[in-house]
Amino acid sequence: MKFLHIHEHPGRMTASVLSWLLFAVGIGSYFYVAQQRHLENPDERVMPTATQMVQSFADAALKPAADEEVSDGAAPLWVSITSSMLWKDSAATGRRFLISVLLLFPAVLLGLHMAMFPYIGALFLRFIQFFDKIVALSLLPILFIAFGIDELSKIMLIVVGVAPTIILDTFNLSKSVPHEQTVKALTLGAGDFAIAYRIVFRQILPRVLNSIRLNLKAVMLFLFAGEMIASSDGLAYRIALLRRHMGMDTIIPYVLWVALLLFVVDLAMHTLNRRLHPWFQET
Amino acid sequence: MHDAAIRVDNVHVNYPVQGSVSRRILNGIDLQIESGEFVSIVGQTGCGKSTLLRLILGEERPSGGRVLVNGCERAKPDRMCGYVPQKYSLFPDKTVLDNVTFGLEVSEFGAFSRFRPSHGKRMREFRAAALRYLEHTGFCEADSRKYPHQLSGGMQQRVAIAQALILKPPILLMDEAFSALDPGTRSGMQQLIKELWRQSGTTIVFVTHNTREAACLGTRIVALAKNGDEGSSVALDIAVPHLDFNSDEGEIRDLVGEVEYSTQSHMDHMHLRSVPIFT
Repeated sequence: MKFLHIHEHPGRMTASVLSWLLFAVGIGSYFYVAQQRHLENPDERVMPTATQMVQSFADAALKPAADEEVSDGAAPLWVSITSSMLWKDSAATGRRFLISVLLLFPAVLLGLHMAMFPYIGALFLRFIQFFDKIVALSLLPILFIAFGIDELSKIMLIVVGVAPTIILDTFNLSKSVPHEQTVKALTLGAGDFAIAYRIVFRQILPRVLNSIRLNLKAVMLFLFAGEMIASSDGLAYRIALLRRHMGMDTIIPYVLWVALLLFVVDLAMHTLNRRLHPWFQET
Repeated sequence: MHDAAIRVDNVHVNYPVQGSVSRRILNGIDLQIESGEFVSIVGQTGCGKSTLLRLILGEERPSGGRVLVNGCERAKPDRMCGYVPQKYSLFPDKTVLDNVTFGLEVSEFGAFSRFRPSHGKRMREFRAAALRYLEHTGFCEADSRKYPHQLSGGMQQRVAIAQALILKPPILLMDEAFSALDPGTRSGMQQLIKELWRQSGTTIVFVTHNTREAACLGTRIVALAKNGDEGSSVALDIAVPHLDFNSDEGEIRDLVGEVEYSTQSHMDHMHLRSVPIFT
């Protein structure tokens, strides 16, 4: 048995087979059980078959949404995609997601300034550390009361939930730039802002982007919580709505679709990071 | 009274340890360094030689006494003193060429004024100047487009020296600059810095724990020695007879022996107590 030996490495083929094994087992056993249940009960709803899921997903992605005026059947493919339920849900969620991620940029700048200028650090650090400990979801009722249940409260939830982490992370990353760099830059005649932006910020930027990538999960978590509780569109709203109808044949493809979208965003940020910072040595 | 390049006047440095307790690092240091000297500061680990360098640099203030550079008290690091530390002196996100031009660029253009029309033209001049300095320290043009992590330790220190010297600082401070290099690279770097010192006439203060390096490089050796809890003071301050790496081995050994004896002479205060471990 080689399984529990630190020094045994699987070959290329074995490693590849092992890495796909659990996917195969999971998918295989799901469809086996689903088929068994459908044989027992033709109206089975808990475990839809592959055909049902493909059908529902195609309906969601290609047919006009319920509130859309039904045009004649011969609309071009592009129009039918952009008027579909899936497209509209993805666009609504994507818009909130984009705004939230853009709002993290000031958080990065605040963290940088807190680390570079001791007075700003003294002013903000304790306050942000306090805010970081607040469970953002527990603020949700307060946000709904204060900002109403429209877009603003959902975006505020994400910002309140993720910004303190990003601020503190940027702060720590900026602090970890060796002090020699600052001293060297001063002896080269650089001013305070030149050091902050041209030395420290540029050095930490790839790490900050990685930190944002790690926090994309948290962004999505807060976004989904907000959408499930108070929204009239969006991917999470749809999932929560379909739960009431036991619409597993749409919920499962939606969950996978969300995972795919997040994966693509993460991969794009990773590639961009590599392109922009060829000097960056990932440790 | 004329102004020496560097004047250290009865300087004390205390570091806080815990609460109100503080430990004295430097005790009554008096030092006068004339323009154009090449002074090596030696001493054992932890005797405060890097602290002394940081005082001259302006990164730290003395607890008592004064540190003057060209007659002015030090407030913070500036272009008066070039600085080459042991590590981290290159900016990892900039190419070799950009590292060297950085000083010229920020000295002329502030953080936000690089969109001035003269910027492009001046940058071309800076790059040409940087290439001349890099050539001087043993680089070819192809190397100048590399990033620091693609260079060996010795090459990185060559860039760091070019980066500091291009601003023609009156004083160059080097803190264990060659200590992380392997012996072959190290002696090459020592010859290079001595050559650059002869050509530029810059005052150099070179901190090292390697006495032999100090003996062969400097025109003067300042040895610091720890004196128990009272902090370090200058144990020896001698002009070095003209030595270099080709000098008579015996002569070098005599000097090294003398300096090393002086740095250890106060160590009698430290008792090696025998603690029974196996009882």
